[in-house]
Amino acid sequence: GHYCLDINVLIIVFTEMRDKLRKWREDNHRNSEQIVDVGEELINEHASKLGDDIWIIYEQVMIAALDCSRDDLAWTCLQELKKQFPGSQRVKRLAGMRLEALEKYEDASKQYDSILQDDPTNTAARKRKISILKAQGKSAEAIRELNEYLEQFVGDQEAWHELSELYINEHDYGKAAFCLEELMMTNPHNHLYCEQYAEVKYTQGGLENLELSRKYFAQALKLNNGNMRALFGLYMSASHIAASPKVNATVKKANVKYAAWATNQINRAYQVTKTNQLPVEELLLRSS
Amino acid sequence: MAEPELLLDSNIRLWVVLPIVFITFLVGVIRHYVSILLQSDKKLTLEQVSDSQILIRSRILRENGKYIPKQSFLMRKFYFNNQEDGFFKNTKRKVVPPSPMTDPSMLTDMMKGNVTNVLPMILIGGWINWTFSGFVTTKVPFPLTLRFKPMLQQGIELLSLDASWVSSASWYFLNVFGLRSMYSLILGQDNGADQSRIMQEQMSGAAMAMPADTNKAFKAEWEALELTDHQWALENIEEELMSRELDLDGMFSKELPTGIF
Repeated sequence: GHYCLDINVLIIVFTEMRDKLRKWREDNHRNSEQIVDVGEELINEHASKLGDDIWIIYEQVMIAALDCSRDDLAWTCLQELKKQFPGSQRVKRLAGMRLEALEKYEDASKQYDSILQDDPTNTAARKRKISILKAQGKSAEAIRELNEYLEQFVGDQEAWHELSELYINEHDYGKAAFCLEELMMTNPHNHLYCEQYAEVKYTQGGLENLELSRKYFAQALKLNNGNMRALFGLYMSASHIAASPKVNATVKKANVKYAAWATNQINRAYQVTKTNQLPVEELLLRSS
Repeated sequence: MAEPELLLDSNIRLWVVLPIVFITFLVGVIRHYVSILLQSDKKLTLEQVSDSQILIRSRILRENGKYIPKQSFLMRKFYFNNQEDGFFKNTKRKVVPPSPMTDPSMLTDMMKGNVTNVLPMILIGGWINWTFSGFVTTKVPFPLTLRFKPMLQQGIELLSLDASWVSSASWYFLNVFGLRSMYSLILGQDNGADQSRIMQEQMSGAAMAMPADTNKAFKAEWEALELTDHQWALENIEEELMSRELDLDGMFSKELPTGIF
C-alpha cells in the first residue's frame, strides 16, 4: 500500500505545493496526513509568498491537523485566524471543532450555541452539534436532531447521507432507504447512491425488495461499468430470486439469465486483471 | 453635394475628448466601490431559506422522481399534495408584499440606487456641458437627421452644421454606455458601475411580479406536481444493461490514489 509518506512531496517546489493543497481543497479530499505535511512546510517556510491564500490554507491545515491529533499545529493556525478575523463565525466554528477533537464536548457545544444565537440560519454550527452527539455515541438523539435539521434544510445532501448512515447503524433500513432515495433524486448520475440503495434493499430482504435491489444494482452498473460491488450484487440478488420457491417459471428463467450474464462479466473482469493485459482472444474479438 | 470636412483643433482631442473619457471611467469606478459600501445585508429568515429548499425538493421530485421506485414517488407526492393535510395544500405563509410604503428597507434601497446612479450622471453631465461648451467635440460615424441637432449640439448655434457633429455632453453620455465592457473587464461581471445594466434591471423589475410571494409559488408547485406521473426509468434496466458487454477497460491497471492515511 501507499500509506507511507511520499517523500517526493517534500522536495517539490513551492508552487506545486500550493497547487496540490488547492486541488485537495477543491476536491474535498481528506488525506489529512499529506495535507499536514505539505501545509506545515508551506506555512513555516513560505508564508510570505502565499499572500491572501494563507488564510484558507490555515483553515485547511487546521482541520487536517485535528484529524492527525496535532493540536500544536491546530492551535497555531487557529490563533492566526483569530487575529486576522476577530469575531468571525467561521473561525468560531473552527475553535469549536478543536474543542471537539479534545473531547471537550460541553465547551464545543456552548461555542456552537453562541454562533446560533447570532445567526439562527447557520447550518455549519447545527451540524457540528449533531456530530458531537454522534461522537458521544448518542445515536438516538443524533438521529432525532438530524431529522429536525432536515425538516428545515430539506436540501442538505450531506445531511441526508449522514442520516442514512445513522439509520443503517441502527438497522432501520426502511428509513435509510428513504434518505438514499432523496440522494438518488438529487444526484441521478451517482452510481454509488444507487449501489448503496440496492444494498439496503437486499438487506431488507423479501421478494419485492430483492427485485428492487437487482434493478438498482443494474442501474449502478449502467452508470459505472466498473463498479464491481454492484456486479456482485446483481449476481447475488438475481441468484436469490431464482432460488426462491415463490417465483413462477418465467421469473425464475429471467433471473437465471441475469445471474449467468453477471457471472460472465465477473470472469471477464478477472481475466483482464489476472494478466493485466488483454488475452489474445479479446484482442482478436476487438479487431473484428 | 460634398460636405466640407471640418478640421478640429487637435487641442480638442487632448483637452476635451480624453479628459471626458477619463472622468467617466473614474466616476464609474468610484460608483462601483460606493455601491459596495452602501450595500445593505440582505438577511434571509429561516422560513425563507426553508421554503426555498422545499420548493426545490418538489421540483426535483417532479423531474427526477422517475429514478426512485413508484411507491416512494407516490408517498412523497401524497405528502405534498394530499387533500387533507398535504404540505402545499395546508401551508399558508404570511406574505407582506414588499412595496416602498410598508417595507422601509426597500425605500432606502431605492434611494441609494438613485443617489449612486442617476444623480452623479445628471450632475456630471451638467458640469461637462457647462465646462466644455461652445465647441464641437467629435463626429459620430453615421449620418443623423436635423432633429437630433438641439439634443446633441447643445450650446452650438450653427444652423448649417451637420448633425453628426456633437458636443461634449453627447460625448460624455456616449462614454457612459460605451465603457460598460471596460468595467466588466476591470471590475468583474457584477459591478456597480454598469449604468445600462442598472437601468435595465429597474425597468424589468417594475414589469415582473415580486418573487417573494411564497403562497403563489406553493400553489404553482401543487399544480405541477398533480400533473406529474411516475415513469420508472428502471423498468427495462436489465435489458438495457445486458445488451452489451461491460466496458472493463482500465480496471485495476493503474494505482488508485490512497485514502486518508
